[in-house]
Amino acid sequence: MIARFLLLLSLSGAVFGAPFDIASIPSPEGIDPQVGGMDVRPDGKIAVAFHRGEVMLLDPASQSWSRFAEGLHEPLGVLAESNDEILVMQRAELTRLRDTDSDGRTDIYQTVFDDFGMTGNYHEFAFGPAKGPDGALYISLNVASNGAGIRPEIRGEWSDLGELDFKGMQSDRGWNDRKGKAGRMYSRVPWRGWILRIDPKTGKAEPWASGFRSPDGIGFDSDGRLLVTDNQGDWRGTSPLYVVKKGGFYGHPASLAWEDGWSKGDPRKLPVAQLEKLRTGETARFPQGELANSPTQPVVIPDGWGPYSGQTLIGEMNQPRLVRFLPDEVNGFTQGTLVGMLENDNIGIGNHRLAFTADGSLWIGKTHLSWAGNEGLKRVSPTADIKDVFTVTAVNLQKRGSGHVFRVTFSQPLADGPQVTGSRFSYRYHEDYGSPEIDKATLTIASATVEPDGKQLLIETEAREGAIHRLDLSKLRSRDGRELDTAKLFYQATELP
Amino acid sequence: MTGDAYFLRYLEILSAAALAHRMKFLPFFSLALFPASLVAQEPKPAEVFQINCSACHFVDQMVVGPSLVEIAGLYKNKPEDFVKWCIAPQHKREGAIEMPSMAHLGEDTLRSLHGYILKAAEGKTELKPADKPQLDEPGKSRPQVQRMFLPDASPAAIAVAMPGSLSYCFDASECRLRYVWKGGFIDAKKYWETNGSSLAKIDGDVIYREESRPIGSSNLGKPTLEFLGYRIEKDGLPTFLYRIDGTTVSETVRPLPDDAGISREFTLRSGSAFTVPSTSDAQLTSSTGSLRINPAATPTFTLTYRWK
Repeated sequence: MIARFLLLLSLSGAVFGAPFDIASIPSPEGIDPQVGGMDVRPDGKIAVAFHRGEVMLLDPASQSWSRFAEGLHEPLGVLAESNDEILVMQRAELTRLRDTDSDGRTDIYQTVFDDFGMTGNYHEFAFGPAKGPDGALYISLNVASNGAGIRPEIRGEWSDLGELDFKGMQSDRGWNDRKGKAGRMYSRVPWRGWILRIDPKTGKAEPWASGFRSPDGIGFDSDGRLLVTDNQGDWRGTSPLYVVKKGGFYGHPASLAWEDGWSKGDPRKLPVAQLEKLRTGETARFPQGELANSPTQPVVIPDGWGPYSGQTLIGEMNQPRLVRFLPDEVNGFTQGTLVGMLENDNIGIGNHRLAFTADGSLWIGKTHLSWAGNEGLKRVSPTADIKDVFTVTAVNLQKRGSGHVFRVTFSQPLADGPQVTGSRFSYRYHEDYGSPEIDKATLTIASATVEPDGKQLLIETEAREGAIHRLDLSKLRSRDGRELDTAKLFYQATELP
Repeated sequence: MTGDAYFLRYLEILSAAALAHRMKFLPFFSLALFPASLVAQEPKPAEVFQINCSACHFVDQMVVGPSLVEIAGLYKNKPEDFVKWCIAPQHKREGAIEMPSMAHLGEDTLRSLHGYILKAAEGKTELKPADKPQLDEPGKSRPQVQRMFLPDASPAAIAVAMPGSLSYCFDASECRLRYVWKGGFIDAKKYWETNGSSLAKIDGDVIYREESRPIGSSNLGKPTLEFLGYRIEKDGLPTFLYRIDGTTVSETVRPLPDDAGISREFTLRSGSAFTVPSTSDAQLTSSTGSLRINPAATPTFTLTYRWK
């Protein structure tokens, strides 16, 4: 079927060189090849943390593996500080793996930060660290899932804010009958659902932002903004992307229990209208099923990727693509556009961790745990043809008369007579799991005109506050007849100009 | 399973509608790609399936949830039971994630989904689980350190396999040894292969348990604890480092010959004198000649526990 599919694609028009060369990388022997974390060391070796706790080094040239560390508990993030020191976020702590005698193996597993709670619930994952422009480390902590209760022994302070007490929260035979009272996802020990900022030298932490559910993706964009992705579920009608600022609350209420001086009781019981007032709006949203179901790590695309260089790239677990984020500033708020990437290149699903080597190659580490996904590593190398890719590089929402224009910037001049269609929709903010699409409407496009430079298209329409605007550019061609790499844009208008 | 095989299977379940959409510039070809039964259907259930179900349900293979082949078998002539389940799913399979309710789709859509699933599964059979690569099992080589959810410990537990047949659980939250067992190491298969909700099993018999920390002042009240990590010694055994009320402690546990007990070498950088409590499971001796230890005089000492 694939062969026929590819044949059809090749018949579809003028043939241009493929911008990417994609290869599968052999996994190390004896190891469950699900990738939890990945980063490139200064010496060019790639440090990869696997599901069962090994950290292996991949020599990209020879594609041979060596063992750097082992025995970690569900490592889900790696940051290589130097050739001898690698930071790993595992369930119980942020750990510095130190090879003090330079024999290529870790001899000191140094606890950098473990001052957060654990109930023993399986969903209390820990992600990061991401290094900020300030040199500090940022981690994100998952809330627990009522797919299970807690364990008899926990770490950290217990919060009484909840319908069930410590005994009632225990995982036992009767759990299934009580779990509805726990909340779909819960935060009964400190900093679950929070982003924390950690001083890498002292290990002292500062609570940075709350309101997260399953923040698997944490990273900084090329302008130094802290980006965090979260997963569709309760209070997440679809998966969101946030620009995270100190003191912000980002929508999932469970974590509010740990807000300094919190006095409003069980946060889950607050009226939705009150939570709406507290929360910061989404920077962008990934339409479930259409763009991404489970977004992961944001990274910056390096030089050598033609028009993509400097943009933010985000992984996706459930659909065979990656996603780019194109920011826009409206009224001082960062919002913007999500658009697919590498959609027709058979990269497969399970795209969990992303890292770039100095030669410009992108390494994709895959996982699934008990969800949909894949295993092992893929390498995506840009070819010389990448500089000619026809793609959208920016989308800006501007006021025009009583309505608005989307100013869309392209990497290549457009052919005449552009045709654009669009629609808008949203999702509910509520405790239920996920949401249907709501407020659906067709966008009336008053005009679509190309600016004199040929590279900017003004789409005149009426934008709606809070909505996702889906722009379909599949009919556009570049002057030399190219199709867009991906033609569907999803602009989140949390603010209107 | 290779990534390509995986992708192929994934592509097969991408709905007809989604692919037709991608290939709308070639509509007459798209018919050739799919069984007529799928194309002739209204695209709606296919789209609904793609958006709401496809991430977890493959045609012929259990992934997060059961395959369409299995679902079709379970609900072949029971559309109403299928609708009921989708509206109020329960936790049925051990280790699996409970499906979120699909009530928002409405009963009519769910009924059409039932028909779609039966058609998609028609003529298909369940694939056998793909051959997994041979994995190194825990304890294959000793010594070994593995952090894991373990019984009778906090969630920040660490399992250590020593050379021979003894293993122990060190608790990074409590900064103390919890218990020692004899036999194999741990069985964490269920933890690793399902959703992580299972404790690893101790593969052996617990022969020693410790209810309190043997060192440090016996002042009442909860001490301030700080886990600092561990160092791997030349023989591969870990030395745990922690701080109790400001006193830095290192502790290395080693097996006695014939696994007749364990020796624990401590170094305390400061702290006042204390008495090591005796234990009923083992005969306890100190390298200092007395169970009254004064770290100022002998910062490094070894406690030997010989099984009774």
